[in-house]
Amino acid sequence: MPIHERSLVESERVLKKERLVIDGIDVSGDWNLIILPRTVEDYDLDFAKEIMESPDGKTIQQCYQCSYCTASCPVHNYWDDRYNPRHFIYLARLGMVDELQKRVDVMWRCVSCHKCTHRCPKGVLVEDVLKVILRVMYKRGLIGDYPSKKFDQFFTENVLEYGRIEDGELLFGWMEKQGYKIKKDPILRKPIPFFSDIPKWLKDMVSKPIKEGNISFIMLNAKHMLFHPRTKEWNKFKQVLRKVMEEEGALAKGG
Amino acid sequence: MGIIGKRVAYYPGCSLEGASRAYDVSTRIVAKELGLELDYLEDYNCCGAMESKNVTFMGTMLLNARNMSLALKRGHKVIVAPCNGCSFSLQRAEYFLETDKKVFEKVNELLKEGDVDPLDEIPQTYHLLEWLYNEAGPQKVKERTVKPLKGLKVANYYGCLYTRPHFYSRTYAHAGGNEEERPRKRETADDDEHPFYMNELLEAAGAESVYFEPMHTQCCGGPHSLSDEDVSKKFVMMILQTAKRNGANIIATECPLCHASLEMYRYRLMLEGVEDVDVPAAYFTQLLGLAFGYSVDDVKLKDNLSDPIPVLRRLGIA
Repeated sequence: MPIHERSLVESERVLKKERLVIDGIDVSGDWNLIILPRTVEDYDLDFAKEIMESPDGKTIQQCYQCSYCTASCPVHNYWDDRYNPRHFIYLARLGMVDELQKRVDVMWRCVSCHKCTHRCPKGVLVEDVLKVILRVMYKRGLIGDYPSKKFDQFFTENVLEYGRIEDGELLFGWMEKQGYKIKKDPILRKPIPFFSDIPKWLKDMVSKPIKEGNISFIMLNAKHMLFHPRTKEWNKFKQVLRKVMEEEGALAKGG
Repeated sequence: MGIIGKRVAYYPGCSLEGASRAYDVSTRIVAKELGLELDYLEDYNCCGAMESKNVTFMGTMLLNARNMSLALKRGHKVIVAPCNGCSFSLQRAEYFLETDKKVFEKVNELLKEGDVDPLDEIPQTYHLLEWLYNEAGPQKVKERTVKPLKGLKVANYYGCLYTRPHFYSRTYAHAGGNEEERPRKRETADDDEHPFYMNELLEAAGAESVYFEPMHTQCCGGPHSLSDEDVSKKFVMMILQTAKRNGANIIATECPLCHASLEMYRYRLMLEGVEDVDVPAAYFTQLLGLAFGYSVDDVKLKDNLSDPIPVLRRLGIA
């Protein structure tokens, strides 16, 4: 496991010479690595405060940096060792926002498996805390629209609209957002999978029940695609939900 | 046995009413055979799954509180959810409502505003597997089995959120802390790092479990299975290859999201020509249904994209 605080030292600040003689004394060898000091002035202490304000983020203060979370993390172990929950918590608490920003390309990769939260000996809700860090960063414009954010937003707005989600709409709506051309029928504007420009695996998956004549399955899903399943007594509740989300700044920007 | 209650509120979740109806149908069959009763939670809403909680905290609490309120209205203190995501969401809400008084009051206030009955108590949520194991158990499954799953080598895949995190699922936490720090621990809960409820139920039905640790609780990509394809593909590959190389001829699942993710990436990996990934998946309730004498059509095995029927036919089970 790499030492992550090492990444806080930029390579420009590391001086290493073949031979180094200071005041006539030869200090070549192990002693000739010098790290120039730097002053960090842009600590943002409000950052940690904002995280602690949210009920699911307040356990961040209990962390004692044992790194059990990182040792358990499948993304760290099997994908990219730059993904390090312990280090993100460290940076967030110090308010080193610019350092967090250097890691935005991996920060969103958490798959919510909750090994970190489960094993934490200090009772930090690590997974929740990491999501709150992302949420606060997003709110402050420190991180752009990362892929899982787009999906979360898409999903949540679907729930807000109908009270329930529908697999087909979610899948094809997402494919459309990914840039695939989804053919839609002219009246109800619902996707038609077979004439759409979608990957082979998806086409095969959709055509399997048709090949096998699994009629009741096709009928059920076609019905759901045409008439989105809804929660009946939803309207009043939806307004409250929308209000709450507005207060939290959780609705899509500009939408 | 018999701690949770034989008649409970049933929260199927959106997925089970659509693409994963096989799980819904087979769950009802198994519950009926084991003498248990599921009371369908009329007009429920989505739990927010693993997505809404990243967008809004209070909104997700509200979504789950509404479902809890519906259960209380029907006179239930126990909710059973067959999906890992749904049971996780409800249990997460339960945790915050129980431990944070401010959240509880705010949620009740907002529920009233939305014309939903406020919560006077907080119903507990159990995963279907935990409920079946504690209310019926392997013994009853053995009694009911008429067509043993002989020769079937099962890799029992539990996924992440069935036992994790202990704050929500109320399992025992092995890591750190001492006994007094875990007031929310539940006697009926499965073992956290080495869950075995599904193993025992399927073994009672005549199947054989293969060694599947640590992949039995490895993530399948979960909420990122559509938005982060690279990571999900790798995780699913690890799961499927471990199952195959340990001699499994089927993977038993207990969550529609894990199931869909496994089947979808299984097919994509096969198209890419990756080795040892062709183990099909079936819900554990489908396998129990077969053991109880139901047919392939009864438990909707045709709905499974990974097509486990040939394997089961070869062994003379289906």
